[in-house]
Amino acid sequence: MPVSVKHDYPSEADETLVKWAQKGDTEAFEQLIFRHRDKIYARALMMMRNEDQALEYSQEAWVKAWQRLAQFQGESSFATWVTRIVINLCLDQLRRQKRVRTESIEAMDEESGGVERQLPAPETNPTAGLEQDELRRRIDEALGKLTDAHRTVVVLHEFEGLEYKEIAKRVGISIGTVMSRLFYARRRLAFLLQSLKRERSE
Amino acid sequence: MKHTEHRPLEPLLDLQAYVDGELSEDRRRQIEAALPSDVDARELVQGLRQLGTLIRAHEPVATVPVSREFYWSQIRRQIEADSQAERPQAPAASAALGWLRWLIPAMGVAAVAVVVATNQSPREMTLAGGGDVTVVDVTSTVFRSESDGVTVHWIQ
Repeated sequence: MPVSVKHDYPSEADETLVKWAQKGDTEAFEQLIFRHRDKIYARALMMMRNEDQALEYSQEAWVKAWQRLAQFQGESSFATWVTRIVINLCLDQLRRQKRVRTESIEAMDEESGGVERQLPAPETNPTAGLEQDELRRRIDEALGKLTDAHRTVVVLHEFEGLEYKEIAKRVGISIGTVMSRLFYARRRLAFLLQSLKRERSE
Repeated sequence: MKHTEHRPLEPLLDLQAYVDGELSEDRRRQIEAALPSDVDARELVQGLRQLGTLIRAHEPVATVPVSREFYWSQIRRQIEADSQAERPQAPAASAALGWLRWLIPAMGVAAVAVVVATNQSPREMTLAGGGDVTVVDVTSTVFRSESDGVTVHWIQ
């Protein structure tokens, strides 16, 4: 007579849960979702700047992760793997909505160097004195003020650690455009964070 | 601002690529050699590094705005729906269905044939196997084999 073994899912490592999930254990998969859902949702929210879309795409990412579990071989962490799935979903949506590749006059100007030279260079310690949570919130606000195209390259480079070449491939733009968008975005962020400092000193 | 606003873009992108570790070894060495004598470039490099450190250390966070149970239930429902939609028909079941597609009409034809045959002959006849066929009415025929103790009803 087979003996039923009840796993203690919360105490297991991701690697073990992934192996069980790959064998069809939905409880193991649910535990993985419970552990990493906020990170996946946060990444979708950072890309889309819309809570409903972030919720939808984060859930869709988990569905795709389940369908592709057999392909996960552990080259990266499981959370990184699912994060890449949600990023690809968001990029698809942004492309569909023409939010990352549309070259507005302003963006063209920025990328040709017409605007960024009028913006401040990143200043040393522009946010000194801010509480950590407040700083995090202000950085999020500043990211929200970037265009989708500029924010996307910042997210992929700074938070996902992708190289220019990989960003170009994923977004569907040239490496030169990645570089100029990243440069403009950083200077814009520096400008926005600098203005926070001014707000505090007034 | 004062240091970079009149510089062409290309050298600035090179400095950024230097900070991001994206330059070739030769170009990296050139920039490192030039930095000590270029205050503007040095400040830009320092500023870019600090900005990167700052935002990476304060990556915005967010919490899923629905309960764990609700979040998971929607995912599970979608997984199950996709699984149902993609599940291929079992080969054995397909084969059985294939047979049934042929068998049901064939049975109908056979039943009609029996009825026609019995309607054209005496209403009772003895078969070689010792059984007999009795036509009860136009739409129902019974075959009974005494030797085998079997009775078959054909209904048309």
